[in-house]
Formats: sequence, structure tokens, C-alpha cells
Amino acid sequence: MAAWSAACLVVVLMTTNPAYKAMVLAAALSSLAAGAGLRRLKTPVIAIALVAAFAAMLNFASAHLGDTIIFSLPSVIPGLGGPWTLEALAYGLAGGITIGAAILAAAPFSLILSAHDVVDALPRALSRTGAAIAASLNLVPSIGATFVQVSEAQRMRGWRPRGPRSWAEVVVPVVLTSVEGSLQLAESMEARGFGSGPRTFLAPSHMRPADWAVVASSAVALGLFIASTVAGWAAPWAAYPTLTLPAVDPTPLLACLFLFAPVVAWRLRR
Amino acid sequence: MALASIAHLTYAYPDSPAPALAGANLSIDGGITLVAGPSGGGKSTLLRVFNGLVPHFHGGRISGCAEVSGMQVIATPTRRLARHVGFVFQDPELQTVYATVEREVAFGLENAAVPAAQIPARVHDALAEAGAQHLAGRAMRTLSGGERQRVALASALAMQPELVVLDEPTSQLDPDGADLVLDAVRRVAAAGRAVVISEHRLQPLMEAATSLATVEAGRVTTSSPSAWQPPPAPARPQPHAAAGDEVAALTRVAAGFDGRTVLENVELTVGRGEVVALMGPNGGGKTTLLRVLAGLLRPSSGSVTRRPGRVAYLPQNPAALLHRPSVRDEVSFTLDHAGGTRRGETPDRMLEALGLLHVAGRYPRDLSSGERQRAAAAAVLAGSPALALLDEPTRGMDASARDSLARVIEDLRWRGAAIVVATHDADLRAAVADRTLTVRDGAVR
Repeated sequence: MAAWSAACLVVVLMTTNPAYKAMVLAAALSSLAAGAGLRRLKTPVIAIALVAAFAAMLNFASAHLGDTIIFSLPSVIPGLGGPWTLEALAYGLAGGITIGAAILAAAPFSLILSAHDVVDALPRALSRTGAAIAASLNLVPSIGATFVQVSEAQRMRGWRPRGPRSWAEVVVPVVLTSVEGSLQLAESMEARGFGSGPRTFLAPSHMRPADWAVVASSAVALGLFIASTVAGWAAPWAAYPTLTLPAVDPTPLLACLFLFAPVVAWRLRR
Repeated sequence: MALASIAHLTYAYPDSPAPALAGANLSIDGGITLVAGPSGGGKSTLLRVFNGLVPHFHGGRISGCAEVSGMQVIATPTRRLARHVGFVFQDPELQTVYATVEREVAFGLENAAVPAAQIPARVHDALAEAGAQHLAGRAMRTLSGGERQRVALASALAMQPELVVLDEPTSQLDPDGADLVLDAVRRVAAAGRAVVISEHRLQPLMEAATSLATVEAGRVTTSSPSAWQPPPAPARPQPHAAAGDEVAALTRVAAGFDGRTVLENVELTVGRGEVVALMGPNGGGKTTLLRVLAGLLRPSSGSVTRRPGRVAYLPQNPAALLHRPSVRDEVSFTLDHAGGTRRGETPDRMLEALGLLHVAGRYPRDLSSGERQRAAAAAVLAGSPALALLDEPTRGMDASARDSLARVIEDLRWRGAAIVVATHDADLRAAVADRTLTVRDGAVR
């Protein structure tokens, strides 16, 4: 998935053409929906859509450039005054698509893969570091639970948050508990011989054929898109001064289609 | 020759003037050696000598002699002793390294560089020996506390150690989980391994034990398990008048979290001077019910009424909230914030009731786990609450600490507080409860 994320990010940040950006956004959305399920995707997608919409509106409201004026506000209004144009809106929307596609392309690391999958994929030379990271990751959920528990318990003892300094009554015990938890974990790892020399592995992380297919598709997509850009087939797009439709060429479009490979891979895994 | 022995061993933790072990002598052969003694007496320290965590991990000053499988503990690092001594810790949450059961059991084998081809069979055998073979393939986060402890035992057994040491492995578990772990321990001993285990509840293992070591104030005495007498059952409360005015009431309450309904159509009233015990299986809704009563969780339907007055809530793992410089400061914190200081209440009264006066000036996180539990109870229950809600308050406590807590509950009751205790502890229930309700599948009966 790292190769796929990298390919998506390069394509979406390399081109100014919103048609290709939209293709990457669609690939990211459908891949995540196939891997994580639509239900888990709902909240992050809403959040990302809000961020993207905010970016689009910000440009629409603040960039008073372009020939196609939709409406005008009196110029005495600071920042907002002046012509509000179709070009500024289109440019803002393209920016919103870029943000959405970029975030969703990086999302597999939190939505589909567990942190342990990522750690297991570390090279063998880093296995001791990986084991230590894996162990630390197990403490993360307990830190959140401790924070809730301590803040509730302190409230019940009569504590109330009054300014940032008062939070020390919650943060200090949470930090102390986390440090103690880390020490107990370190003690447990020591008691099981951690650090005694070279390690072996129960099950080294193996790439499955579907994983290799995603890597290959990502490489093809990336190579094809870079070649298209160099050859001038992936034409850039500019919203200003007069809005035009983005030009679309079959080759970079085909490159973007390869980014849908994870959809097929997740189906094969099931 | 003994499998493990300790002779004239004296040990003090760094910056501690008093030794945690003072001239300790102990010899371990096969079978089950049961280690008993009060909280803070030195049990955990003694057990950590066998795999060298004391002194190699904890530092400090040590003298005397300790030997395991022919190796001098003081001269042998823990990571080498780990191949001969398996260790299971108290808290099932804080000894997990990997996310899945097999990876977790294999961790020690990977560290010992056991050839990869041999690991799956060793993992399988260890899970079977610990009675946990049915957990293979599960994610660690989906396991209950008892299941996690059996995986921890399997992780220790996978190394094929000559000695298995368990430090209060059931103290954080409910009775069902504890029974499963103790069954596994008996099975391991029956298979011919030497086991050293510290426990507060001695009765379940006493029949199978071959030796009993009592650790008190750092001194170790040994005796025959057959000479052991169970402690007297706690005194039942004196007959009590009917509950007074209503302090809290739930009417047709439904509540839950994360989109899941945990309680449905619950009716409950608690009156002044009444102790209500909640029992029932884990996940049945006891904690949710206490949180609704405390006002920490808003019901999705129904109503909650509470008489004005302080509500004290002792959560599970309350020791997490300790952070003041001394135990006395912890209690003062509550009294200051809850108005107890204005009413002339002092921390020492509560500390004395819970048997903590001798550690009142100490940093609470330096105390033993049982003492910390009591310190947290003192900190939460101070300030004359009108309603006290306690969630598994005796978890990790020894019998005398439990009796102290029972006396504090009794004192709160006589001063007019309404008390609701969620507990698996039958002795505590017998000692304090006026009424017992079962919370199961979200219903209260």
C-alpha cells in the first residue's frame, strides 16, 4: 500500500489538471471503501470533504481574479469585497480535490493497515526496533482510556478545569501512568529475553500475489503518468484568466486507471 | 540439589533506606511453592530475584546469594536467565508485545533465536499446556483478562523453562478468569514443572501446593501448606434499620456507549445508610450502571435523580489518579476540593481507617500495588460523600486490606451515605451488603 500511496500522491501533486486529480480521488475513495468498508469511511470522508470545501470557499472568497464574475461585494468590505468569480471557485474546487485526494491516498496507514502490519514490514535489520515499536503501540489505547478515567475521577473529587495549568491534575497522572506502563512492559520484555542477541521470526511478512499486483500497477501508473507529463500529453490546466475545461488525454487517463488496482486486490483477498 | 535457592539475601531498591528483602532464605524444588504475605511485604521483590529482574532491571543494593539452574543470579543477566525462568506478571494489559496470540507466544522464542521452523510447534505446545490452544489465531485486544493471562503463561512455557514464576496473576481478574488461570497453573505443575506463585487468595491453590513461603517485612518464613488455616470469614454487618431517605434513583433508564445499548429499562433506588452490592458477569452492565449513577454517563432514556451532596466514584484501576507528593496530600486534595477541610475533616482519619497511616508521608506510586489501591480508595472516599460508588474496589487487595475497606464502607454507611459496590468479591459482599442485585445482559434483578 505504501507504493500505491506514493504513486497517488505523486500524480495528484504533479498535475494541475483537475480531471486527473479527480481520477486519483475516485481511485483512493473506491480503494479505501473496498479495504475498510463504507461504514468506517463515513466519518473521515465527511471530515475531509469539509476541509476540502473550506479550502475551495476560501479561494472563492479571497481570490478576486478571473473574467467570469458571478457577483460582486462592495470593495469597502475588507478581504471579501470585490468580484467573486467562476474562475476563483473552479480553482478553489481543484485545490479541494487535491487536498481530499492527498489525504485519502495516505489514509490506508490508519484505515486499512494495523500499525503492527507496518512494523512487521520493516527490514530484518530493524527487527529489534520493530519489536520495541510494536510493544509501545500496544500502550497507545490504554493512554486514551487512562485519560478519560483520570479526568472523570478527578472531577468526582471536586476538581474542575480552570485554565491550562489546572489540567496538570489530569495530565500528570496520565503521563506517570503511561511511563509506569512503559517500564512494566520493558520489564516484561526483558524477562522474555529481549535484546539477548540476533532474533528469528515466527512468520516473516510475506508479500502475496495481490500485494505484488498493487505494487506493479502503482509503478505502471507512476511511470505512465510521468512519461505523459514529459511528453506533454498530461496537459496542465489554468483557471485564470478565463475558465476552460481541462484537456483529457487517453494515456494519462489510463495511468490513473491503474491506481484502481487495490479495489481488485481487496476483492481477491476476500 | 535445589532447582533454585536464595541464601541470606538482602536487597534494597535504589534510594530506599529500608531493605525490601532482609536476610531471605528459600529453596525451591519441584511442585508449587505458594508465596503469601501482606501487600508491601516483599513478595514481588522476592519473585523478581529468580529471573534477575532484581537486581539487574531495578538496580539497588544486593548482598547474599541467589542461584537458579546452577547459575548465579547476581552475575547472570536477566535475558540469559529468561531461557530457564518463565515469568508471568500481575497486569495482563502491560505484558503484551504483539497484536496476535501466536506472535505473542513466539516473542521469547524469537529473542532466543530458536530456528523459525521450530517455533510454530513450540507455540502450539505451549498454548496447549496453558489450556489456551483455542485462542490461537485471535487478536490480543479481543481477549479477556483471564485469556490474556493464559497467553502470558503460554509465552513463559514456550521457552521450556525449568521454573515458572507468577506474580499475583489473578489479582486483576474476575473469578471466572482467575479460576481458568489457576487451573492452568495446576496443570503446568502436574506436567512436572516447578512453579512459584504469589497470591492473595490462597485457598484455591493450597491443596495443590507443596510448599508455603510467607514474606512479611522483607523476611521469608517457610511452612507446610497442610498447617495453613484459612482466615476467619469477615464479620457480617449488624442488623440494620431499613434504608433511609432516597439518595439516588434510576427510573426506566436505558444507557450505553459507542452506539451500543448496555442497560435497558433499569429501575433502582438507593437510600441513606444503605449498601447495595451489584454482581454479575463482566460486560453485564455494572460499570455502566455506576457511571450513570455518578452522572458521568447520560442515559439515552429514563431519568436519574440524586439528592444534593458529594458523589464519590472509585473507578477500576483508581491508582492511576495518584500523583501528589504524598499519600496524605492525595486525601487532602479531595478534602480541599470537596469542602471536607472546611468541615474540619482531616486526611489522617481516613488513612488510619484504611491502615495507611504508616505510609502517609510516602510518595503514593512508590507503594506496593495493594497499598496503592487503598491509597486511591482513601483519596476518593474522603470528604463525607452522600453517595459512594465503588467499582471492583478489592481488586489486588489482600484479606486485611479488604477488611479495612469493609470497615470504611461500614463507617460511611453509619454516617448516612448511600453506597453502591460493583464487586465479584463474595467476602466483601457478605461483609457489607444490605441488598445484592444482579446486573446481567443490561437488566437489574
